[in-house]
Amino acid sequence: MQSHFTSEIESLKTNLIKMASLVDELVDNAITGLATGNVGLCKGMKSRDREIDAYDNLIQVQCENILAIFQPFATDLRFVMSVLMINNQLERCGDIAVNIGQRAKKTSSYKELIDESKVIDMANRARKMVQSAIDSFIQNDIQLAKQVLVSDDEVDKLNKEIFNFLVNKMKSDSTLIEPCSHLIILIKHIERLADHATNICENLIFYIEAKVVSHPKISGKESSTND
Amino acid sequence: MNANSKIKVENLNFFYGPKKALNNVSIIIPDKKVTALIGPSGCGKSTFLRTLNRMNDLITSTNIDGKVLIDDVNIYEKNIDIVELRKKVGMIFQKSNPFPKSIYENVAYGPRINGIKSKNQLDEIVEQSLIRSALWSEVKDDLNKSGLSLSGGQQQRLCIARALAVDPEIILMDEPASALDPISTTKIEDLIFELKNNYTIIIVTHNMQQAARVSDNTAFFYMGDLIEYTSTQKMFTNPELQQTEDYIRGRFG
Repeated sequence: MQSHFTSEIESLKTNLIKMASLVDELVDNAITGLATGNVGLCKGMKSRDREIDAYDNLIQVQCENILAIFQPFATDLRFVMSVLMINNQLERCGDIAVNIGQRAKKTSSYKELIDESKVIDMANRARKMVQSAIDSFIQNDIQLAKQVLVSDDEVDKLNKEIFNFLVNKMKSDSTLIEPCSHLIILIKHIERLADHATNICENLIFYIEAKVVSHPKISGKESSTND
Repeated sequence: MNANSKIKVENLNFFYGPKKALNNVSIIIPDKKVTALIGPSGCGKSTFLRTLNRMNDLITSTNIDGKVLIDDVNIYEKNIDIVELRKKVGMIFQKSNPFPKSIYENVAYGPRINGIKSKNQLDEIVEQSLIRSALWSEVKDDLNKSGLSLSGGQQQRLCIARALAVDPEIILMDEPASALDPISTTKIEDLIFELKNNYTIIIVTHNMQQAARVSDNTAFFYMGDLIEYTSTQKMFTNPELQQTEDYIRGRFG
């Protein structure tokens, strides 16, 4: 027999996984649309995002109820806290996917510029990070989560490179100012997407290892919550 | 746990007849802190609490070995004055047990049998004790009313005032709020928070949230063993041992 608490936790996890698969699909469609120019993939994204928002609300209420009713401790407390935080990150990923989809539509006629600028490479890395973050949560795979943290540095590096590339393009050819402006906004979205994937993995590490690994520069090192 | 130690228990074993209830327990309890004792029923936590003022002496066929040092004095030495010990180490029980006397007499009883006769002095002790136990404002106009006429929560605070009246240094509490409603429980918990400035408090509780709220350090007992003893913050967020984690998460088989 499953305990009341266990069934509530299972239900919470199931809803988060359903939400994550919607986010995964939305991110995948946005980036595939961007990469292939098949902007048809980017249609109907707002209604999918509303489904994600509905899960966001549901999960918040579930977490509030579990905290109020069961007042969990230790691993259970960290699980509910991490679900609350991951829920927030996923909701933002959904919004960003919609934004990427919209930019994909606006830049679809500049395929050559997109290919030359490495935007697709950056987008694919961010997409992989989101997928890995979701997989790491579903499988409690701490190693996979830690790999995602490393990938974020690569995306940040690409972000700077592409930004400089696009600025130079605008300087050399004023007709490219409009598409380059769209792409600068686009890479900002992609960079944020990677950040949210990173945050999801940090939240997972907090759950499994009881360590706060966000903002390592503040503590100077990985800080443990209550070692 | 860097504060000065008040109680040092070394290799304590306790037996009810042939049954061993405490198994080689060693622990250092800091001064002017709240230490919570948790564990399932029958784990030895209340037995351990009662060893700290020799309340178990009243139970026949019990046996004890090891040391309980309070301020570096072993309270199980033959020359120890039990009355003095229990003045120094007061106790609050699960069920409030006021004497069938007035509120005033409940609090004045201890100081009176300790030889204080001056009315002014007794008045002062009664008032101060009731203020410290957060009951004064509710009873100050009715000190001649029977202690038994108070509500359960007030009776428990009256018992705390009675314990404080003999000027203890250590207060033992055995499930002091388990029979109280949430408002009275909050008052007792707030009182514990206040009292720890002046007293060393050791509390047995089955309520994990209460242990987490009121204590600085927590000791987890299981089947007579002290399993884990650490800061309350660590105990309830990231305990060292799986056995502790299973207990505080309510997953004990």
